[in-house]
Amino acid sequence: MKQTQPKNYFSFDVSMLLPVLFLTGIGIAMVYSASSEIALRDYGNEYYFFTKQLIFAGVGLCALLICRYIPYRLYHSLTYVLIAGAIIMLVAVLIKGMGHDVNGAARWLRFKGFRFQPVEFARFALIVFMGYSLTKKQDLIEDFKIGFLPHVIMLVIFSMLIIMQPDFGSTALFWMMAWIIMFAGRVRIKHLVSAFILLLPAAAYLIFSSDYRLKRYMTFLDPWKYPQAEGYQITHSLMGFGSGGIWGQGFGQGYQKLFYLPDPHTDFIFSVIGEEGGLRWVLIVLFLYFVILWRGLAIAKSKQDFFGSLLALGITVSITLQAVINMGVNLSLLPTKGLTLPFLSYGGSSLVINLAIIGILMNIWASQKQ
Amino acid sequence: MNSTRIEKQRYTRRNRRIIMIGGFFSVLYVLIGLKAFYLQVIKDDDLSEKASSQYQKDIQGRGKRGSIYDANYRELAVSADVVEIGVHPQSVRDKENKKITDKRKLAGVVAGALKMNANFLYKKFKSTAPFVWIDRRVTPAKASALKALGFRGFEYFPTYCRVYPQKALAAQVIGFSGTDGDGLEGLEQYYDEDLKGNIRQWTIIRDAMGRIFDRHESCAPGYEGNNLILTIDATIQYIAEKALKKSVQENNAKDGVAIVMDPETGAIKAIANYPSYNPNSFNLFPKETWRNKALTDPFEPGSTMKIFLVAAALESGMCNPETVINCESGQYRIGRNVIHDTHSHDDLTVHDVIKYSSNIGAAKIAEMIGPAALYNTLRNFGFGEKTGIDCPGESKGLLRNYQSWKKIDNATIAFGQGISVSAIQLISAISAVANNGVLMKPYIVKAITDEHGKIIKSFAPIERRNAIMPDTADALIEMMHAVTERDGTGWQAVPVGYTVCGKTGTAQKLNARGTYRNCEYNGLFVGFSPARSPVLAVLVVIDEPQKHHYGGVVAAPVFKEIVHETFNYLNIAPTSTKEQLNVSNGLGKRGGA
Repeated sequence: MKQTQPKNYFSFDVSMLLPVLFLTGIGIAMVYSASSEIALRDYGNEYYFFTKQLIFAGVGLCALLICRYIPYRLYHSLTYVLIAGAIIMLVAVLIKGMGHDVNGAARWLRFKGFRFQPVEFARFALIVFMGYSLTKKQDLIEDFKIGFLPHVIMLVIFSMLIIMQPDFGSTALFWMMAWIIMFAGRVRIKHLVSAFILLLPAAAYLIFSSDYRLKRYMTFLDPWKYPQAEGYQITHSLMGFGSGGIWGQGFGQGYQKLFYLPDPHTDFIFSVIGEEGGLRWVLIVLFLYFVILWRGLAIAKSKQDFFGSLLALGITVSITLQAVINMGVNLSLLPTKGLTLPFLSYGGSSLVINLAIIGILMNIWASQKQ
Repeated sequence: MNSTRIEKQRYTRRNRRIIMIGGFFSVLYVLIGLKAFYLQVIKDDDLSEKASSQYQKDIQGRGKRGSIYDANYRELAVSADVVEIGVHPQSVRDKENKKITDKRKLAGVVAGALKMNANFLYKKFKSTAPFVWIDRRVTPAKASALKALGFRGFEYFPTYCRVYPQKALAAQVIGFSGTDGDGLEGLEQYYDEDLKGNIRQWTIIRDAMGRIFDRHESCAPGYEGNNLILTIDATIQYIAEKALKKSVQENNAKDGVAIVMDPETGAIKAIANYPSYNPNSFNLFPKETWRNKALTDPFEPGSTMKIFLVAAALESGMCNPETVINCESGQYRIGRNVIHDTHSHDDLTVHDVIKYSSNIGAAKIAEMIGPAALYNTLRNFGFGEKTGIDCPGESKGLLRNYQSWKKIDNATIAFGQGISVSAIQLISAISAVANNGVLMKPYIVKAITDEHGKIIKSFAPIERRNAIMPDTADALIEMMHAVTERDGTGWQAVPVGYTVCGKTGTAQKLNARGTYRNCEYNGLFVGFSPARSPVLAVLVVIDEPQKHHYGGVVAAPVFKEIVHETFNYLNIAPTSTKEQLNVSNGLGKRGGA
C-alpha cells in the first residue's frame, strides 16, 4: 500500500509554499534595510548583503525544487552516510586551517570559495537519523535501551562536536528538537521527562561554568541593568520594538540598525521588522510561521509511513524551534542565543538548507497523494 | 489483522502526540505575540523615548547675532558665517566610496583645500576617537572647497563667529561676546537681548558612531538678532584714542580716559581708554584692559570741582563773579588742617579763583555758602548718582550726605578732595554748563534696527533736570573761558582758531588706607568748545603721569588735539581770526619760556 512517488509532478502544497516564499521575500527586503549601513561601512556597497541574500534565495529555491523531486525514502537508505558526512564536517571545522573563525568561534567550512556551516547540515542529518531509528525501533520503542538510549548517544556525539566550536545555541536546539521528535516517535514520556530532569544539572553546569553564558543569563533577567555591556544588544532590540509601535517607523526608517543594534540583519532581524513594520508585521510574520507549523504537522499526521511522518515532523519542528527561540530572544523572553530566524535572517547555509528541507517536506506531501 | 490494529494504534497515538506538539508551539507563538503586543502597544512610549534619547538630540541654537555700527554705519562688530568641520577618522572614504588607507596623502589633499598644516591634519586623521574637530572657524569658501573633493566622513556645521573689524577701536565700549554667542562685556552685554538671534530648535539624528544623519541648517533666516547704531563716530573715536595714547605714553602714565560728548544731547561721540585690548582675541589681554574705566572707576576730580562750587555760590545769590575773596597769601588753616595754594594770592575775585584755580579761594567760598548749598548743587549736577548711560558697570561715585561732613570736608570737597566721580558724571555735569544748565542723560546707542535694516527703536536725547539756571551757566562759561586765556591754567587746551571753556584738575590719588600719596596724581582737563554754542564737550583724565602731573600740562594738550582734529573732520570753521592770532601769540610766548 506504500505509495511514495507523487502522481502529479507539477503540484505543490501551496498553503506551505506561499508562507515560505512570503517569508523569504520579507527576509530579502529586511536584510537590505537592516544591513545597508553596515554594508556601506564595511564593504562600501550598501547592496552587499542584499545581493548575496538574493543569490542565496535563488540557490535555495533551486534546492527546494530539486528536493521536491527527490524521493524522500532515499534519505532513509542514506541515513548513515548523512550521519558520517555530518560528523566528518563537524570534525573538519574544528581542525585548524580548515575551519573559518568568526569572532573566535569556528563555525564555517571553506570549500572552493564557498563558506558553509556544517551545523546546518548536521541538523538535517540528525532529523533523518531520528526518523530512521525511531521507525526501525517502533516495536521495542518503550524499551529504554532500544527506544531511548541510542538516540541520546547520537545526540551526545553531535553535541560534543558542536559545543567545541563552541555553539551552545545549536546544541540546545538539537536536544530540544530530538526530544520533540522522540516524543512524536512514541518514546515513553517517563524516559523523556526523567532524563530531562537528570539533564537539568548538566545544563546548569554548562551555563554557570562559562562566564559569558552566565552573564547572558544574568542580563536576560534584567537587561536594563547592564545597558552598556551585556544588556546592550537586548535593550536595543527592545527599544526597536517599542519605537515601532503598532504601525512601525516605515520600511528603511528604523534607527536601531544605525550601529546601535548589533547583528541587525542576522540574529536581530525580527527586532528590525518590529521597529520598521510595527506590531502589524510582527503578527504577519508570526502568522506565517504558524501556518508553516500546522501545514507541516498536517503532512506529518497524514503519513502512514512512520519515517516520512517523523521526517516531516522533524523538519517542521526544526524550523519552528529556531523561529520560536530567535523571536523569544529578540523579545527578551529567552536569554541570548546565536540562532537565526529561518527564511528571514541573512545567511546562506541556513537559508539554502531551510528551503531545501521545505522541498523535502513537499516531496513527502506529494508522495501521499493517491 | 493484529499487526494492522497495532499499526493503527501507533498511528493514532503518534498523531495525538503531534497535535500536542502543535499545541505546545502554538502556545509559544501566542506568548511571543503577547510579548510583542506588550512592548509595542503598552510599553511603546517608554521604549521609544529610551530609543530616541540615544539617536535623537534636540539642539538649541540662536540665529545670527546682530551687528554694531557707528553713527555712520561703519561696522564695529559683525557676525561672520563660518563652518565648524569635524571628521570621523575611521570612516573617511573617497568619491568612489573606497576606504582611504593612505591618511598622509589624505591629510595633504585636505590641507590644500583648507589651507592648513598637513601634519596637524594627519594627527587628526590618525586619531582612534570616533569623531574629532578639525577646525571650528573655517570660512564658507574653504569648506566648499573641501566638500567639492567628495570625501565622506566629514561633518560640516554652519555657525558664526564674532568679528570686530576695527580691532581695539572702542573696545571697552563695544565689549565682546563669548564663543557661545553671549554678550560678556560692554554693549555686547548691555544690549545682549537685542543683539542675540532668536532661539531656534532642531533635532539631529545620530548613529551609534556619533555620525549625524539628518540636520537642519542653523543659518536659517528670520532668526537674526537686531543691530545697534551708535552715537559714537569711529573717526572721532580714533582721534580721541590716538591723542590719549600719545599723552599716556609721553608722560609714562598708568592709563588714561577721554570722553567726547555732544553737550546739547548727551550723545557720546567717543569713549577712549588706554591701554586697550583687541576684542577678537580678548583672552590674550589682561582683564584690567577690558573695563570701560570711564564709567567704572571713580576718581577724585580735583580742581575741576571748583566749577560746580562756583555754580553753587552763584545759585545761592551770596556772591557774584566779581565778589572778592581774600586768599590768605597761600596758607589757610581750618582746624588742624592747613590748605595751600600752588601760587599764593591775596585778593582774588570769584572769577579769578577759577582762572587761577585757588584752593583757598574755593574753600572760603564753600565756607561762605555752607555745605547744604554745595551738596545740593553737586547732586543737581548728577554727582553721587548714576547717569543712566546705556553701558554696564557704571559706578555712582562717592558723594556723602552733607550732614556727615566736617568743616574740613566742606572745604576740600570744594576743590575736589573727599569726593569721587566717574568720568561720565564729570563730562555730563560740564555739558550741563555748556547746555544752559540742562543736564542731559548720556547715551551711546541712537537706534536699533532689525535684520533688514529697518529702524525698530530710536533713542531721543533725554533731559534729566535743570541743574542750574541759564544765567549761572552763562557766568560759568565766562569764567571757564578765562581759564584758557594766555595766563590761565588751561591755555594749552586751545586749538588754533577756536575758543575753549574748560577747567584743569590735578588730584592726588588716595592709596588703599585713604591717605594721599605724594607722587601719584590724576591730571585732568574738562571743557567744551567753541565757547559760545559749544559743539563738543571733552574730558581727558591721565592717570598717574610720571613726568608732569598738572592737568593743564598732561591733559589739556590731549583736549586740544581731539577738539582740533574733530573740528577739522566735522568741517567746523574757526571762530575768529582775531582770537586765532591772540592764541597763537600766546602759544609762541609760552612755548619759548
